[in-house]
Amino acid sequence: MSDIEVTGRILHLQRLSTEDGPGIRTTVFFKGCPLRCVWCHNPESLSTQPQTQWFAVRCLGCQTCIESCPDHCLTMTDSGLIIDRERCQGCGKCAEACPAGALETLGKVIAVDELLYELLKDRAYYEKSGGGVTLSGGEPTLQAEFAEGLLYSLKKEGIHTALDTCGLTSQHTLEGLLPYTDLVLFDLKLLDPVLHQQHTGASNQRILDNLLFIRQTMEKQGYPQDLWVRTPLIPEVTTTQENLTAIGEYLALNLNSHVSRWELCAFNNLCRDQYTRLGMVWDFANTPLLTQDTLYQCEQIAKNSGVNPEIVIASGATRALDPL
Amino acid sequence: MTDCDIKPSDYTIKEPYNMTARIQWLRDYYFKGVERAWNNEYTSWTTGTPWDFQYNEMSFYIVPETYSFLQTFRSSFRQIANPVALHPEFWKWTLPERRAWFNKEVMVRYLPKEILPCDLITGGRFNVQTSCCLNKQETEQRDKLIYGPKGARAAMLWFHNHGYGNAGATSGHLVPDYGRIIREGWKSVHAELEAAYAALTPAEQSGKKGGQLKAMLTAATMPRDLAAEYAKECTRLAKSEPDAARRDELLQMAENLNIVPWEPPQTFWQAIQSLWLTHMLVMSDENYPGPGDSFGRIDQFLYPAWQKSRELGVDIEFDKDVLKCFWIHCNTAYDGMIRTGGNQGITAGYGQLLTLSGMGANGEDMTNELTYVMMDVIDEMSPILEPKPNVRLHRGSPDKLLERVVEMIAASQGSPFLINFDERSMAGMMLQARKSGVSHLINENNVFDYAPVGCLENTMVGNDRSGTVDANLNLLKAVELALTGGYDLVPFVDPMTGKADQPQRWGENTGDAAQFQTWEQFWQAYEAQTRHIIKRIVDLYEQSEAVRSAFHLTPYVSCLVKGCAQKGLDITQGGAELGYVTIEAVTYATAVDSLLAVKTLVYDQKVCSMAEFIQALKDNWVGHEVLQARALNKAPKYGRDDDAADEMGRKVMELWTEETWKYRTQSTGRQYRPGMLSWNYWVADSFILPASPDGRPRGKFLSNALCPSNGADTNGPTANVNSVGKVLGGKAPDGNGDWEDYLNLLPNGGSHTMTFNPSLLRDPEHRAKFKAFLQGYIENGGTALQVNLLNADMLRDAQKHPENYRHLLVRVTGYNAYFTTIGRELQDEIIARESHSIR
Repeated sequence: MSDIEVTGRILHLQRLSTEDGPGIRTTVFFKGCPLRCVWCHNPESLSTQPQTQWFAVRCLGCQTCIESCPDHCLTMTDSGLIIDRERCQGCGKCAEACPAGALETLGKVIAVDELLYELLKDRAYYEKSGGGVTLSGGEPTLQAEFAEGLLYSLKKEGIHTALDTCGLTSQHTLEGLLPYTDLVLFDLKLLDPVLHQQHTGASNQRILDNLLFIRQTMEKQGYPQDLWVRTPLIPEVTTTQENLTAIGEYLALNLNSHVSRWELCAFNNLCRDQYTRLGMVWDFANTPLLTQDTLYQCEQIAKNSGVNPEIVIASGATRALDPL
Repeated sequence: MTDCDIKPSDYTIKEPYNMTARIQWLRDYYFKGVERAWNNEYTSWTTGTPWDFQYNEMSFYIVPETYSFLQTFRSSFRQIANPVALHPEFWKWTLPERRAWFNKEVMVRYLPKEILPCDLITGGRFNVQTSCCLNKQETEQRDKLIYGPKGARAAMLWFHNHGYGNAGATSGHLVPDYGRIIREGWKSVHAELEAAYAALTPAEQSGKKGGQLKAMLTAATMPRDLAAEYAKECTRLAKSEPDAARRDELLQMAENLNIVPWEPPQTFWQAIQSLWLTHMLVMSDENYPGPGDSFGRIDQFLYPAWQKSRELGVDIEFDKDVLKCFWIHCNTAYDGMIRTGGNQGITAGYGQLLTLSGMGANGEDMTNELTYVMMDVIDEMSPILEPKPNVRLHRGSPDKLLERVVEMIAASQGSPFLINFDERSMAGMMLQARKSGVSHLINENNVFDYAPVGCLENTMVGNDRSGTVDANLNLLKAVELALTGGYDLVPFVDPMTGKADQPQRWGENTGDAAQFQTWEQFWQAYEAQTRHIIKRIVDLYEQSEAVRSAFHLTPYVSCLVKGCAQKGLDITQGGAELGYVTIEAVTYATAVDSLLAVKTLVYDQKVCSMAEFIQALKDNWVGHEVLQARALNKAPKYGRDDDAADEMGRKVMELWTEETWKYRTQSTGRQYRPGMLSWNYWVADSFILPASPDGRPRGKFLSNALCPSNGADTNGPTANVNSVGKVLGGKAPDGNGDWEDYLNLLPNGGSHTMTFNPSLLRDPEHRAKFKAFLQGYIENGGTALQVNLLNADMLRDAQKHPENYRHLLVRVTGYNAYFTTIGRELQDEIIARESHSIR
């Protein structure tokens, strides 16, 4: 039913991943996402196309890359290497040529069987920890056939699977993936459809429908076995009392016996340089991390929203009290 | 979630806790260092002859930092030596008899017997430099072999200066049969020696064998007679002791000493007293303050005594205090050169290693109540360097133990112990049995009783000296010689005279590498040069081994090692049932990555010619930055779980280990065996070895033991671990490994250090994940692991404010060191290590 030769475009693998589901996992980051969240932490995962980035600190200035580019997209200037992103097709020739690893092409095409071979290298750790593999991104459901082939192959090997999704996909796609998914990590960012549209570029109607669809398959088909909801804590956007309460009430009302964990993931700004390297502007570049207090308050709001308070877990970096 | 911002609280250094007033006082007193009224610094003792000397420099040939001081040490100890009135027959005796008598005389009759207030065990002074007891002729013979133009010292210096490594017959580094002393007492050793002596023919009795056995008979009474002296001192102190409770303690201590170590102990307190006196005399006998004198499976052989004390109703907290007194005593080993340098002359741990838990017969787990009590003592006492704990884990280790291990790692910066992995280790020992034809001594019915020595060097117990630190070989030298056809890439320049070596072919003539057409040709040259460097280290070691076996005998240690009494041979002469010399390969990953770079860049991708490549190395990459960048970034590296790269690693491993098994020492018949422990050579030798093909310039650190090169393990910790397991041999595809399905080309084991960000163990959920990581390591990894839980920012702060971090212990490789006392280079290296965090 699934073709192991089907290929997909991924960013990279994260091994010994301890934050994307139970146990020790390998997270596969898919490239491409249907949402455009203004705070996105993985800007490299937005486009479905390969992209090239340049690390100034690694560059020797040897200019090997400039000749290697078949489309003449690269120019060395006093302020560094300029990539003509209109013309760049992400062919990867420059990254291949660069001796110093200063140029990287993000998004490589890989076949299911090749990827599976890599993922199984950590089988011992999955088995000892109750972990497995998490498909994340980007949005795995955007490459439905590839995701399905991968999930199917993993289940055949007896590996625990998790699907980390933004929920914006078709029911048909979910029908294909869920039979091979043990755990869904479902992102619920904003409950208000207008705010959702405003901050992510899409309404949350279909997302909420899909969440209820997952509930339905859990009840009727018995899969996925587990569902975790994740809410990124974006200062002034998702951290409001109204939003967290609304999400909590929604979960309590509709998914009380289905969601076993509601994770609140603190905003972080590690991706700031990534935006620069990709020639993108980030509205949150100067936004500080949450304070310890804010994180605590968000956790309390969530715990008091009507869900079982024990399922609420807040984590992530907070602002240093005493910067060193 | 990697980057929880640093809060000041993150910089809290582990502190000792739960100490009674007694232990608090002893610990505080210990750390007063030079301000103490009492200490255990070296005293020196002489026969009084004009040619006499004490210092055996060969034990320090593996410590290049001491080379400039060898003569100074010899002269200084000689100068401060106190004369010992000799027995009238002294010079008529054989050398071992002289040495045994002299040491006993010093220990029992000359050294003061001192007991610290509130201490529960006796045995204070043991750091001694005693006369080598040579007559004039012996001294001349010995000195010629050491100092002659082709002597051991010159050979060792040449070897080191030319980047091969170092070697020397070194003391310590074994597990004496302490278990027997606890089970049977010294009287049983003595009785066995008497019987062995009586069984000799009269000719043998007056010959070499008889002399050795008589020496051992003298040595075997030393612990008894010393205990009697300490018993007298306890009684004397008790008489004037105003405090009744302390008086009772002193009287009980005297009573203990009337029983042990001659008789087996009747209580745990007596067992610890017996163990300590027996152990400290090993250090006295060798004039060597403890490095690698290891206890073996202490929670096993002390367990019956522990149970007896429980039956007698002794308070567990009291016995914990006894253990803690033992802990403090072990640390007084460092007093040897207490006035030297900062921090009482302490930098790195010596490695009086004790082993906890592990597998028993039929694969069952041997963890017991004493295991956990000792874990508590370690936790409560740390940070402290000695004794150094090693915890053995295996597939059947109980959750409770694993959780305690993880908890203790989480609570301190470097794990307070090393972790050994039984299955992989035992597979190596079984291979060793096969390779060296000793399956009657190491087999599936006893291999589980192995124990690591010093850091992680696996040996058998009580019958084995494996010379685990004696021969340290830079594998990278073979790559260099393959590139040059046997010459040094850059001639050695004597720093004293400024004179450069004339070009000379030291290695094999493997031809001009620039003319090689294929990778296979280069690999063949590498093979030939590997054979050459192993032959060279074997030849070098033979020189000091021969001198030691003729002139530096240790009859007391020989009493504690099975085989010596039976053969009538000193342990230094190959008396042990199991005699090995371990070649510890250094620069492994640098060598593997260098071969990968040559193969990839010169032969596979052809981005440069071999001639260009060699020129770049001669120029230390200056002017060849693009090629250097390619070597660093575009060639595969070991440590990424990349099967092709790791296959190169396995080939390199197989080549050098197979070659190692071909040799034995001529003078003592000890079999060479392979291991990987780099101590700190990978730092210092990086300034000796020229630029390497992996992109490393001279002066950038080499790789450490079995670890991937710094920063090479870009696929994270599990990939790093998997690579390590693979190059050791991985698992047998048909399930028939040397132990279960495990294979291991390094019977000694290999040092593997990993640094993690503290956030990986931040809460119970993550600690459970780390526990599973260790269980995954049991399946996929190597023989031993050291964990550092450090934050680079904290270490930088410690560099700026060392006064706040005096007790910060970090793992270097198989040993802990106080961060603020190690050199800046090593500090920077530890900061530079890939810190494995999590996302």
